[in-house]
Amino acid sequence: MTSAAVRVRGLWKRFGQQVAVAGIDLELPAGKFIGLVGPNGAGKTTTLSMVTGLLRPDQGSVEVVGHDVWADPVAVKARIGVLPEGLRLFDRLSGRELLGYSGRLRGLPGGEVDKRVTQLLDVLDLAGAQHKLVVDYSTGMRKKIGLAAALLHNPEVLFLDEPFEGVDPVSAQTIRGVLERYTASGATVVFSSHVMELVESLCDWVAVMAAGRIRAQGTLAEVRGEAPTLQQAFLELVGAGVRDHGSDLDWLGGGTR
Amino acid sequence: MTDTSTPPASITPVVVRLKLSLLRNGLRQSGGRRAAYVASAVVALLFAALQLLGLIALRGDSHADSVVVILVAVLGLGWAVMPLFFPTGDETLDPTRLVMLPLRPGPLVRALLAASLVGIGPLFTLVLLLGSVIAVAHGAAAYVTAVLAVPLSLLVCVALARAVAAANIRLLTSRKGRDLAVLSGLVIAVGAQLVNFGAQRLGSSGLSQLDPAAEVLRWVPPASAVGAVDSTSKGSYGLAVTQLALSVGSLAAILFLWSRSLTKLMTSPDGSTLQSAEPAARDKASAGGLARLLPAGRTGTVMERSLRYVWRDPKTKAAWVTSLAIGLIVPVFNALQGTGSVYFACFAAGMLGIQMYNQFGQDTSAFWMVAMTISTTRDAYVELRARALALLLITVPYAALVTVLTTAMLGDWHRLPEVLGLSFALLGAMLATGAWTSARFPYSIPQGGHKNVAPGQAGLAWISIFGGMISAALLCSPVITLTIWSNVTANGDRWSWLLLPVGAGYGAAITYAGLRLAAPGTARRLPEILAAVSKG
Repeated sequence: MTSAAVRVRGLWKRFGQQVAVAGIDLELPAGKFIGLVGPNGAGKTTTLSMVTGLLRPDQGSVEVVGHDVWADPVAVKARIGVLPEGLRLFDRLSGRELLGYSGRLRGLPGGEVDKRVTQLLDVLDLAGAQHKLVVDYSTGMRKKIGLAAALLHNPEVLFLDEPFEGVDPVSAQTIRGVLERYTASGATVVFSSHVMELVESLCDWVAVMAAGRIRAQGTLAEVRGEAPTLQQAFLELVGAGVRDHGSDLDWLGGGTR
Repeated sequence: MTDTSTPPASITPVVVRLKLSLLRNGLRQSGGRRAAYVASAVVALLFAALQLLGLIALRGDSHADSVVVILVAVLGLGWAVMPLFFPTGDETLDPTRLVMLPLRPGPLVRALLAASLVGIGPLFTLVLLLGSVIAVAHGAAAYVTAVLAVPLSLLVCVALARAVAAANIRLLTSRKGRDLAVLSGLVIAVGAQLVNFGAQRLGSSGLSQLDPAAEVLRWVPPASAVGAVDSTSKGSYGLAVTQLALSVGSLAAILFLWSRSLTKLMTSPDGSTLQSAEPAARDKASAGGLARLLPAGRTGTVMERSLRYVWRDPKTKAAWVTSLAIGLIVPVFNALQGTGSVYFACFAAGMLGIQMYNQFGQDTSAFWMVAMTISTTRDAYVELRARALALLLITVPYAALVTVLTTAMLGDWHRLPEVLGLSFALLGAMLATGAWTSARFPYSIPQGGHKNVAPGQAGLAWISIFGGMISAALLCSPVITLTIWSNVTANGDRWSWLLLPVGAGYGAAITYAGLRLAAPGTARRLPEILAAVSKG
């Protein structure tokens, strides 16, 4: 595949005085597992919100699989799945009801929705909690039900904002398994995170963001460069390399006194 | 070895002091809280003092006994339900906080009971109880009974509240309990309406109305203790002893149940552990069965979700129940008092039409799930139409029922068609303006607490609701004019039945127009709506 899954040009977003995203350009290849990494407040969530059409940019254009997000929402919304961070779900529905609602709203036929929902609930280990209200779910369960809702209509590109945040290792492994199977079929996953080890082990393509700008983008090897780990490369890129603090905190450790 | 011969020091003073210092520290935290506490204390005590004066003035009235018995019964009921709706009202005595201390249930119950007697609530109750016995006690024997009855009733009230709280502490600290607390404002609103109506009725037809209810309640503790005072005054000592014994017995039973649930609370894992282990609720077959009757596609899906939210989301439920209750109370109670008019029945349609306002705000930030599936004006139209249909599914039968009920009570049958027509036209206008303002002036509804508007959005809410209601009234004016015309014209009555089809048709047409006008704005402004409803 040669075409880009996501193409972003000159994207800006200001909130009052603060510039959240300062004119970024991005070209994310299709069929890859893509990590958008950056420290807290780098503008990852703002960027993902604008790319998925949930937030209107001040300036710039976004194309997903060749369609403009703002000019051609019909083509885009049917082809993407989203798991936003910090937004609620219809959490007074049970897990099964929520997925059924989401699938039918997408225009899938009822029988097909029920079949897919059953399979997704099984694979994501949610079958036991399918009749419980989502409001009573744990963080990990919420991420999983959100992921199921995002996958239900078999999108071409999946956008996940911090899908592993606050998720226990077992659920994380489940989510990982599902996502790996999904990308293996040629679909694209774009996810944001600040856990470098995770990004390094999952992604084959990385974009590094800091203070509203893209600092680097490319394959994992390109971004890592000479550095031994992605973590090292990342710290250098965002200008937070390990400084030698000399005698600061020299009282710390070495027995109480 | 522990020396078991010397009894351990009583923990009662310790717990009472704990409650006092918790109260003091709570007040020290913020000036606002202090002011609120002082203000509520002043209001409560003023109210109590007025009641006391009223009760003293009632002394000698032939219905004083009925008033007093009902008053104390209501007081007892209040104490019993208060912990369910105001679980955080008295967290100072949450027994689960004492779980790590080696305490036996007996001394603990005594200590907690003593501490419960400290506060405005018990003082308020004490004043009312004093007033009650003053109103009915005549003669030395009655005074003696009163001296027993007042503390007894107070203890029953306080113990009842504690026992209910302890028995339901799992519920009260869980999500369901917090949901219940959201409904508390509603209980007050509807309760106030009922009290208002009751007071008006008593004012118009006299205190003798109370006698039948009092006949029963004088046997129910804590009212039975006050009933005993009255019985003694009348010389029926046997009756008085039975009534007192009933109160004593119930106090013992309450204390026993309380101590049992305390023991259970202190010796079993806490709510958070149990909650996660709780088995999942089974699928409700009835909901699934009824849902099958809804149309397929987006329309049915959205309707089903909206209707589920009316029942399951505490904020939505509170708003609906308020609308349903006020929509019924205003026309029906006015009709009962003979001051009503059949046109008041339009209140039901008007109150329920308000639910169409701020549709997306009711979704909170979960609106993103809707926004992700709206790509065209058509999608937005179907979404809005489905929400309007869900609302109509409840509103049309309800408004019709209220109208028929009001008409039946007033016997004004020839006006039924025109009132129904007017109701439907008003409902249509409310749906139309509601849909449009939902798209144009959305605002967020914070989930926790009693606030219905996020800070900084009050202006928007006012524009949305009041602007919308005035526009709805204006939009209705053709049907209103026709109604007036049919009433003032000589032969107008002969044609007034026509107002039913005209009103219904007008309402349907205007709803359609409103939804059509609202849809493009909704589809165009999705990110702006999401931002507006995600605040707070």
